[in-house]
Amino acid sequence: MNDKLITSDQPLSPDQQSILAAIIDTIVPASDDGAMPSATELNFIGYLQQFSPESLTDMPEILAAFDDGFANQELMARYDSVKVYSEAQPTLFLQLLAQVYACYYQDARVQEAIGIGTGAPFPRGNTVEPGDLSLLDPVMQSDITWRR
Amino acid sequence: MAEPSSEPVDVLIIGAGASGAAMAWSLADTRMRIVCMEQGDWTSPGEYPTNYPDWEQRLAGEHSSDPNVRGLVTDYPINNDESPISVVNFNGVGGGTILYAAHFPRLHPSDFRVRSLDGVADDWPLGYEHLEPYFAENDRMMGVSGLSGDPTYPAKQPPLPPLPLGLTGEAMAQGFNKLGWHWWPSDSAIVSRLYEGRDQCKNLGPCTSGCAQGAKSSVDITYWPAAQRSGVELWTRCRVREITLNDNGMADGVIYYDADGNEQHQRAEVIVMACNGVGTPRILLNSTSSQFPDGLANRSGMVGKNLMFHPIGFVQGLFEERLDSHKGPQGCSFLSNEFYETDESRGFVRGYMMQVTRGGGGPWGTAMQGAMTGSIPWGPGHHEAFKRRFDHTASIGILCEDLPEEHNTVTLDPELVDSDGIPAPKISYRLSENSQRMLDHGVARATDVMNAAGAIEVVGGGPARAAGWHLLGTARMGNDPERSVVNSWGRSHDVKNLFIVDGSIFVTSGGVNPTSTIQALALYIADTMKKNLANLFD
Repeated sequence: MNDKLITSDQPLSPDQQSILAAIIDTIVPASDDGAMPSATELNFIGYLQQFSPESLTDMPEILAAFDDGFANQELMARYDSVKVYSEAQPTLFLQLLAQVYACYYQDARVQEAIGIGTGAPFPRGNTVEPGDLSLLDPVMQSDITWRR
Repeated sequence: MAEPSSEPVDVLIIGAGASGAAMAWSLADTRMRIVCMEQGDWTSPGEYPTNYPDWEQRLAGEHSSDPNVRGLVTDYPINNDESPISVVNFNGVGGGTILYAAHFPRLHPSDFRVRSLDGVADDWPLGYEHLEPYFAENDRMMGVSGLSGDPTYPAKQPPLPPLPLGLTGEAMAQGFNKLGWHWWPSDSAIVSRLYEGRDQCKNLGPCTSGCAQGAKSSVDITYWPAAQRSGVELWTRCRVREITLNDNGMADGVIYYDADGNEQHQRAEVIVMACNGVGTPRILLNSTSSQFPDGLANRSGMVGKNLMFHPIGFVQGLFEERLDSHKGPQGCSFLSNEFYETDESRGFVRGYMMQVTRGGGGPWGTAMQGAMTGSIPWGPGHHEAFKRRFDHTASIGILCEDLPEEHNTVTLDPELVDSDGIPAPKISYRLSENSQRMLDHGVARATDVMNAAGAIEVVGGGPARAAGWHLLGTARMGNDPERSVVNSWGRSHDVKNLFIVDGSIFVTSGGVNPTSTIQALALYIADTMKKNLANLFD
């Protein structure tokens, strides 16, 4: 199979996919305790295709800024490279960051790990503690009144 | 959309938002033919962002409260270049109530008497006591949750019990108590129990995205169904360009564009403006004639002047304990009137309300805010910083009374137009020294109470830019035709069959969210019209 071939359902070549996977793993790596997955474990490209297909247009330009060896570097070395890119191309990087976070924090595994309900808020809803209205006692006993 | 009628309608209301809906409902029992024209569409709760997993991104884009970001064909652009605060709104059935936070306090009695009490601005030509029965009627129609007994107001009884304080509210209440400051659960136009067929709030979070549950009291689901059942006609996708006059100086109809962009004319016996503080002066200024070369009903020169926002400051506190900050309803927890009334030792006149909100956005918003401020890094360390902040914040909005100043204006932009070619509004606004001092004081006091509540980190500032929700004062009411546009019951001094019922008729702004008062005013004006039908134009 030709690694350079871009098929209709896969907008990035395997090399580009490797670089992208390394970038998003750098942006959101797995947590040390394993409770939070790396962003690269999620289907980021699928997310973009569904929710933000226009973002894929900018992707080759972003990926071209990283050389072939980038994907094989250790995390901190990759971090330094991505940091340099973020300072050189702040607008493009911010757009990428927004999409990575959007994909990450919509994932059910991540939502469960941070202790919130999964999926859309409606119709699920949330439970809010009623709160203690006896805290109002000092206000009720105060001599505050409305100005006549 | 309906075809224009060859016969004049009895009453033509322009705008289907908070005030237009209340006016239409109240007038319906006259059995007159009442038509409301709305430039936008009905919205579908099934399309609101919280129905979707990417709700946070939708809120930032196509469902933005900023019409310049949203950019719907039913919106009109607004030139905010000469203002530190930009206008936010919604154009459609329900108007701003579709996207408002539903924080629903009333103006205070003192707000109607600022000249008498504090020697600034002007008194209103009516008082709280005139509006009191209409506040109560509006609370019933909208479905308002709250708690009676607030000592900073005359007695009132919300029809529904208060919304839950939540962990955020409890934490902040303890801070206010430590300082001995006033606080009280907010009146909220959100149903806390089953009410009139609407199920109770289920705490989705962002009320400002439109309420998919239907618990938030937007007028498309409160007043409008009742008004339509009573025979009021609501015509959508009708964008009014100007009001026309007959030879006797009476308004005789409107020229509008239908959904296909065709110019139409509809005649009417009475015209009611309900487009709020930017939309109303825009249409009046665009309605020029030999009788009114500077805009309709503008012999005083006051149309478009005295624009008041509420400059808003924000303070956010970070807490060690989890506060469930992302769980809604975001804007409605409790308020404090500790600094509402004038105390000259503070260095400014009038005052502000503190609106304690539930603090945080969703996880994406938290992560993005953290990226912008540097408090949550990307890369190594992201998870620890995120965990420390998400659901651990509380916020206070400082909502400052803005005094009327003639140099703060809505005018017609010489170049910018909407999709029908109608000149767009231009905002020219400067924050006064009094407002800036008030903001600074509010941010400092909100920081104090955050610290008292146990916050481990506090940030704040103001004025917030994209926070021009409250659009007031640009067609002010008053008894003097030289200094005001409408009289004490909303009738134009210059054009006897033209009424204005929205926020543009406010004389002063108070320091609270204005929708409750706007609607009470609309009901009061409608009732006064009904009592004077036989001599409405005398």
